[in-house]
Parts: sequence; C-alpha cells; structure tokens
Amino acid sequence: MEAIMNALPYLLEGLKVTIYIFVIAIILGFIIGLIMALLRLSPIRALNWIAKIFIDAIRGTPILVQLFFFYFGLNSLEFISFDRTTAGIITVAINAGAYFAEIIRAGIQSMDKGQTEAARSLGLTGTQNMRYIILPQAFRRMLPTFTNQAIISLKDTSLLSVIGIADLTQQGQIAIAATFKAFEIWLVVGIMYFLLIYLLSLLSSFLERRFELR
Amino acid sequence: MIDVRNLKKSYGKLEVLKDISVEIKEKEVVCVIGASGSGKSTFLRCLNRLEEITDGQVIIDGQDITAKEANINKIRQEVGMVFQQFNLFPHKTVLENIILAPMKTRGTPKTEATNKAMELLDKVGLKEKAGSYPGELSGGQKQRVAIARALAMNPKVMLFDEPTSALDPEMVGDVLEVMKQLAQEGMTMVVVTHEMGFAREVSDRVLFIDEGVIAEQNVPSELFTNPRNKRTQAFLSKVL
Repeated sequence: MEAIMNALPYLLEGLKVTIYIFVIAIILGFIIGLIMALLRLSPIRALNWIAKIFIDAIRGTPILVQLFFFYFGLNSLEFISFDRTTAGIITVAINAGAYFAEIIRAGIQSMDKGQTEAARSLGLTGTQNMRYIILPQAFRRMLPTFTNQAIISLKDTSLLSVIGIADLTQQGQIAIAATFKAFEIWLVVGIMYFLLIYLLSLLSSFLERRFELR
Repeated sequence: MIDVRNLKKSYGKLEVLKDISVEIKEKEVVCVIGASGSGKSTFLRCLNRLEEITDGQVIIDGQDITAKEANINKIRQEVGMVFQQFNLFPHKTVLENIILAPMKTRGTPKTEATNKAMELLDKVGLKEKAGSYPGELSGGQKQRVAIARALAMNPKVMLFDEPTSALDPEMVGDVLEVMKQLAQEGMTMVVVTHEMGFAREVSDRVLFIDEGVIAEQNVPSELFTNPRNKRTQAFLSKVL
C-alpha cells in the first residue's frame, strides 16, 4: 500500500501526459479524418487517390512501425528533427485520422440523397449543403463509432512509452523499477486507464442524448 | 417563363426523355401525368438540373440553365421544388428549415427571414408548429412545411414532384388546398401528379408523358373527356 502511495504522484504525472497527448491527437486526428473523408468523396480523381493512399497506408501498417518511422525514421533524415512527444502525437493523430476518415465517409454516404436534393434545390451550394445539412446529421449518427475509435486511440497512446514518452504506462514501469511491486502498480495503472475510458463513454452517451433527433 | 427545347435525358444507353419541347407561360399551372417510369419525374427534375441534361435546352426566365456559364445555384433560388418524400431537414425545427436558405443564400437578416417564415406558416395553417421538429409532424404537415420552405425563397416557379403520393389519404386534401390557393394567387406551377381531380380542377394545361415523349397535351376539360391519343385513352381508362 505504501509503495502505491509513493508511486501515485508519478503515476498521476503520467496520467496527465497521457490525457494531454490523447486530447491533442484526437482533435488533430478528427481534423485529418474530416479532410481525408472530403477528399475521398471529392469528384476530383487526384484528390480521391491521395486520400485513398493515405488511408490504405495507415490502416495497412502496424501503429508501432508507424511510431518508429515517425520518430527514428524521419529523425534520421538531416532536415527533420522533432521530439518524442511530437512524434507520438503525430503517430496517434494520423492513425486515428485514417480510421476517422472511413467513419466519416461512410456516415456521409449513408445520408438520404433527398437531403442533398432539397438543399441544392433551395439554391444552397455544395459546400453549404455539407456544412449545414449533411455533416450535422452525419456526425450525430457517427457519434458511437467515433467513441469507439477514440477509446482505441487512447489505448494506443500506451505504446508511446516505447520511445520513452513519460505517459502513464512509462511511469508505471519506472515505479515498478523503483518498488518491485509489479502486481499492485500494473493494477493501479489499469484502473486509471479504465476510469479514463469510462469517462469517455459517459461523455459520449451524454452527447448522444443531447443531440438526439426528436 | 420556362422554355424546354429538344430536351433529351439518357442514363447510359437507356433513353428516358426523347426530345421534349414545351413552353410554360407565366402564371400557368401545368400538370404532368403519366404511368410510373414514363419519365415525368425525370422531366421535372431536369427543370432545375437535379438531373443533368443529356441534350437540349431548358430556359427559365430568359436564362439557359444548361449553359456552361449559368450559375445553377442562383437559378435554383428562383425555382422552388417540393418532393414526394418532403425532404425536410430533421435536425432543424420547422422555422429553421424555412429560414435557412434565405439567410445563407441571400443574406436575409434573421428577423426578416423569421417574419416571412411565420407569414408563410400561417398561410399553410401551421403557425403553431414553428418550434416543432419534422419528426413530430404528420406527413401532410411535413409537406405543407416543405411548400412554405420553398416559397420562402420567393421563387418565380414552383415544381411539385408527386407531392401527395406519400401521404395518407386523409392528408391529401390539406396539401392540395394549399397548392390550389397558390395557383389562384398566380404562381407558375409544374405539378407531376397522380391526382387527376386536382389536374382537372386546377391546371390550365395537362401534359401526358409516355415513353419519354409528350404524347398529348391539352386543356384538362378536353384531355380528360376527349383524349385523342390511344395511349392517353388507355392510361386514363386505368386511372379514372
């Protein structure tokens, strides 16, 4: 018990880093996903292909390899240098982005064509239709799937400990090295992740209720 | 007001509209009848380019909507459309459904758009539903809101694509009543419909479309009582 109490400040410090990286990465990931989904649906072939290649490349490779590529790979080039946190955020963001892109694309495509026809027949432009009619409705539908991906991305951040980012998992390892209490420490680390993810799903069901179509 | 010249529409090899030419004058109410699959809805949807036109011209109020330089968004602001499935925006209230387009396309201030919307809702008998969501309305109410939404743009022409076909029978009357009133006020209207009673009573002219051509057109009193084309006769004997 004492070992846990001693380790707790370090674990909480790690939890903060995990939350920080997750929040930034998920926001970036969402923006990347939205842009890629719109490119994917664009009538311009070349843009289509860019999005398709991006999505396939990210989905087709392990996130750990991506992490090593962004951190060790890119950093080995002379003209690029970024710290491990940046590499970690980029990895999780791009990974989430590829999955978000497919979720958003499917959400947009599942919308009734009549909505677009009504909007366009009123004189709204394609962009206005997307912004005021299609996306607001599609996002409501996608919310449960978004939450799923957010939870996966949150768990993915634990991989960043491999390149030495002082996140919750890394702090757990450090605490164990100092105390040798592997069982207790990993249990506490697990509970912390669990609570974080539980909060996330509570937030999601709150939003779902809030935006429910009457 | 609307001048259709040699309009053709194909989906791949399938020719849906074969050389349709017709002129619709200001304040004229034209009903389009025909069997399902005859091309009558496609014809209507070509009038605001919801369907891309394969060949020919559609000129609305002097503007060729098929021209490369035509601003289709601008043209559509002047051409209202009402759909069989209403297509109200379910995430917006009745009022928001109506004021969205005037505000976003013309920059109408919100108070002005709201006043106009309330006026229109009053006209279609749904003033008290302004704050409701489409999901809370009956089919007939939805369609009347859809009409008000289209009218909010002050269109020069109104297109109706089978506006009562998705309604329960007891709701049809309310919607037709609103359309009748609109016709009496002098709105130019093109109505694709199965409501022969409405076509007979309200329209100035009836077009019978069959296999992608206008097989016959006439004033309703003539067309319904004395159809000349054999196919018109066959169609009317089935629906009347």
